Amino acid sequence: MIPQQFEYSAPKSLAEALALIADGGKPLSGGMSLIPMMKLRLAAPDRVVDLARIAELSYIREQAGSIHIGATTTHHEVESSAVIRAKCPLLAETASFIGDVQVRNLGTIGGSVAHADPSADYPAALQALEAKIVIKGAASERTVSADDFFVDTFTTALEPGEIVTEVIVPVEAASTGTSYQKLLQPASGFAIVGVAARIQKSGGKITLARVGVTGLSNRAFRAAATEQALTSGTAVQAAADVVAQAIDANSDLYASAEFRAHLAAVYAARAIDAAIRRTS
Amino acid sequence: MATPSITKLEPFIGKRIRRKEDPRLITGTATYVDDLQLPGMHFAVVVRSPHGAARIKSVDIAAAAAMKGVAMVLTGRDVADLACVPCGASLPGLRVPEHRLLAQDRVYYVGHPVAVVVATDRYIAKDAAEAVEVDYEVLQAVADPEKALAPGAPAVHPQWPDNTAFTFHQEGGDIEKAFAEADVVVKQRITSQRLIPSPLETRGCVAQWHAAEKSLTLHTSTQVPHLVRSLLAQMLGLDENRVRVVAPEVGGGFGCKLNLYAEEALTSHVAMKLGKPIKWIESRRENFLTTIHGRGHVDYYEVAAKKDGTILGIKVKIIQDLGSYHQLLGPAIPTLSVLMIPGLYRAKSMCADVVGVFTNCVPTDAYRGAGRPEATHGIERMVDILAAELKMDPAELRLKNFVRNEEFPFPTATGLIYDTGDYAAPLRKAMETVNYTELRKQQADARKHGKLMGIGMSTYGEICAFGPSPATPAGGWESATVKIEPSGKVTVMTGVSPHGQGEETTFSQITADHLGVPFEDVLVQHGDTAIVQYGIGTFGSRATAVGGPALYYAIQELIIKIKKFGAMLLESDDVSYANGQCTCAKTGKSVSIKEIAGAAYRAMKLPANTEPGLVATYFWEPTNFTFPFGAHIMVAEVDPGTGAIDIKRYVAIDDCGNLINPLVVDGQVHGGVAQGLGQALWEQAVYDDNAQLVSGEFMDYTMPRAHMMPWIESGHTITPTPVNPLGVKGVGEAGTIGASPAAVSAVVDALSPLGVRHIDMPMTPEKIWRLILSKTTGSNA
Amino acid sequence: MKISGTNTLALAPEEAYRRMQDPVVLAACMPGCESLETIGEDEYRMKMKLAMASLSGAFEGKVRITDRTPAGFRLIVEGTGKLGFMKGEGLLTFSQSGDGTEVAYEGDVQVGGTIAAVGQRLIDATAKMMIKRFFEKLAA
Repeated sequence: MIPQQFEYSAPKSLAEALALIADGGKPLSGGMSLIPMMKLRLAAPDRVVDLARIAELSYIREQAGSIHIGATTTHHEVESSAVIRAKCPLLAETASFIGDVQVRNLGTIGGSVAHADPSADYPAALQALEAKIVIKGAASERTVSADDFFVDTFTTALEPGEIVTEVIVPVEAASTGTSYQKLLQPASGFAIVGVAARIQKSGGKITLARVGVTGLSNRAFRAAATEQALTSGTAVQAAADVVAQAIDANSDLYASAEFRAHLAAVYAARAIDAAIRRTS
Repeated sequence: MATPSITKLEPFIGKRIRRKEDPRLITGTATYVDDLQLPGMHFAVVVRSPHGAARIKSVDIAAAAAMKGVAMVLTGRDVADLACVPCGASLPGLRVPEHRLLAQDRVYYVGHPVAVVVATDRYIAKDAAEAVEVDYEVLQAVADPEKALAPGAPAVHPQWPDNTAFTFHQEGGDIEKAFAEADVVVKQRITSQRLIPSPLETRGCVAQWHAAEKSLTLHTSTQVPHLVRSLLAQMLGLDENRVRVVAPEVGGGFGCKLNLYAEEALTSHVAMKLGKPIKWIESRRENFLTTIHGRGHVDYYEVAAKKDGTILGIKVKIIQDLGSYHQLLGPAIPTLSVLMIPGLYRAKSMCADVVGVFTNCVPTDAYRGAGRPEATHGIERMVDILAAELKMDPAELRLKNFVRNEEFPFPTATGLIYDTGDYAAPLRKAMETVNYTELRKQQADARKHGKLMGIGMSTYGEICAFGPSPATPAGGWESATVKIEPSGKVTVMTGVSPHGQGEETTFSQITADHLGVPFEDVLVQHGDTAIVQYGIGTFGSRATAVGGPALYYAIQELIIKIKKFGAMLLESDDVSYANGQCTCAKTGKSVSIKEIAGAAYRAMKLPANTEPGLVATYFWEPTNFTFPFGAHIMVAEVDPGTGAIDIKRYVAIDDCGNLINPLVVDGQVHGGVAQGLGQALWEQAVYDDNAQLVSGEFMDYTMPRAHMMPWIESGHTITPTPVNPLGVKGVGEAGTIGASPAAVSAVVDALSPLGVRHIDMPMTPEKIWRLILSKTTGSNA
Repeated sequence: MKISGTNTLALAPEEAYRRMQDPVVLAACMPGCESLETIGEDEYRMKMKLAMASLSGAFEGKVRITDRTPAGFRLIVEGTGKLGFMKGEGLLTFSQSGDGTEVAYEGDVQVGGTIAAVGQRLIDATAKMMIKRFFEKLAA
């Protein structure tokens, strides 16, 4: 790696890190996106603030019906956490689909969320889970919903100087079934389309449906039409077929907008079916 | 003198022996070019064109040259007097663009070197390279070879507005008659897309100039160190014996390091000018842009056959995308495709027309298989299409048309003599392995249930062991030296240049058996022109098939001398040599090779007309190529919802003659299959309409990975070649050649109920989905 | 890469048509535009700084307006920087839509250099985002 010259600091406390970031430092978490960009000199930050040594940012805690995940928790830690696997299996399953083993060992949930790649896996699950994102700056602290957090391609609710410090997901009710299904771009491992489904059933009826979609368009979103169709008793395939409705699908070398929209329906049906099976 | 105690040594040839090379490779202790550190070493970074075609209006180096740590900046003007990057291919009427080390007034592909910046460290050099200001007038570029041939296309080189580098025609038999007599003619356009070779180690070199001796040492990641030495000496006007080229550990080549590149000469030139050792290491991004690509064919096939399936004749028009200039062998590669056109079949007539096309892309050149995969892919696809047309089983059609065992040596319509073969054997073995008859029943059943299951096959032939010297541009022989050291240890110096193929192991096995010494006592050296006698190098599945026999014959020469010393020591005229011992037939007494070596170097007494020492060198010239063959069968299922292809089984039966080390052979087949499947399913170099390489990193260019591979069931039939005494034919390219047609065959077979007869590579999910959609709904979605 | 789309502005067509040729407005609305300086008729020198995700880079280039008709015109934006170069070209047509104006655009985005090779999967999404931001600012 032959990047441009940069200053590197690795603070041990969050306060110190936020001060450095407020001062213009670029936060570095797992480095799975930033480092390749620096290597190609597409990114050339003057100062890099490495968050990896901040112990207070790496944790998985269950607390009052929620699971709190520190920003520098790696994908592997999420994927293999006993608490998350048992109480929020959708997130663990989604983490297991990210990139490859090396990426999962280094990449972090906070880094992925803050980067807001339109094809990243976590955002689909976080939308379906109605997760909350905790944001901190040197003089600010707020919590926003996943839906408000992901604004556009690489664009989030973060203001300059702010970082993601925590992700909060719910402890699932026993009757909930979830599934994440993804067609990956075989070169990059990113989702061409990824769908996270979360279903609750009661008395044979779907009482809650949450469907998060990534890869399809400029940002991960909740497929409201599909959710409504499911709770109003529409068959799964018919509900899935409207997942890309009114969405301006992305297109690239690997998959055109038309194919992506088609895949979204296919994968939505697969994820919803799997989630329904898991409700029992 | 030892008492007779001859223990028969266990043979090493044929054993699955783990490679001697591997411990250093897997413990990270091997020395690659980038591991070299020399005192005072400077680093070079090349400034490259971001445009596919442009006129250079000006190059401003002032800011770069003024940066602290920058030692030198050179532009096109500074190297205008140096020779061009050489092209070794000679075809009648070939147009050869002058490719200078740095662009002169025009750039003609993205990545074209424009300037070189040298600094005390790599970071400064890179910073300074970014500070070089080049003002371009952007011109229209063309990246698609068929578009380049169309009237009015932008000219890659203004002096040749038709973008045609050469045309080449070959025919054999009576093609007119074949087509006149045909009951059926099938036609198909078949492409073989551009691929990026992507060795694990990119290119790189370190040049050191020894001013007092007027000698140059170049460490470079190459497959052909001697060839690089000869060409580099010519280019730089140096005495060949004062240029030392070393290929240290080389992390893969696949043909892309069978070349002399501008950067090797540029780095050497700068080292000479500056008087400092210079290192240049190619980044992955540069590797994508500026190391040769492979394939790049658009072919139009026509096959004439009788109703009963007898293939009468094959016509093909090959459009070869050559890129913007020629590297070493580029234009010659499609002529290899032509030679291979008859495949394993008896077809007596053929006709091929090749047009080599300039495009604003990096040159294509030899890439694993080099011309043979393209041809094999084409002909195997055509045989499948013919089978579909005649409603025949594709295996049956192949068996009907194979050259028969009693017809060898078989002269082909393209003028080759196939050495030996039993072409039905690997196909039958592959069919038995998958239980073909049962599998077809399963398929019929699966189809009833709406499943898209396919069984695909390819039966491939190869031209390997390059090759007789008259058929190769720089000699097709190979050399070996075998030295028995005074201690009895054995050093082999081979002219081939292994870079992953495992000859340190396989040549040790050959030496252990034929010289009768312990495997562990053999050291195989290669890749350093100051140590090893002149050699040709490693490419074209030749290292074991040409380098191996050279070693064998050197050993035979050495044994003659060993026996002379043995006879002297045993005081007998009747001695035999076996298992490292000379034994007197009469007395049964023997002397060991160690004792003989001691005597030969101590030289207290010498046999008549015999010089001291135990060294033999042999340069072996083969009389023919070898023609390995084999059969692959792939079973696949297609998901109609997503277009995804699931490989259920993959069987690869190869006949490469005798196996020196089946473990190494399997490794070659596995790697080759991975590359063939890579082309069939995933890999493609994509240039956009402005000749920008948009699949320019591993984010978009899909290299096959271990987890994407099916379990490969590999096996062999063994038909030793009479061309060399080891009976080995070469296996480096077999997997690649066999895999792509088998894969396409399987997927086409899966979709055949929909009326699909051919699919071009790579078979991406979207392509398959659209095909299914168009066949089921008639829509051209 | 081809781009096309429509955007509705709460402006009268004449006003939309005028604003989108006004260098002051263009400079304010083009994402990352730092300066726009007139160098000829319908031709401007532009400096812009692109910052998206961790990517950031300065580009210098030109903005040109051609093919002007009563119905619309062609807007050409091109820039070169260390990251590579880009050229966006769009034919804009204006039509009445209720109280406002529907602006239809159809054109082509070309990207070269490092960003072209490595940003392939993101060019479409990025181009769309920049167009969206442009119209958002124009409407504001």
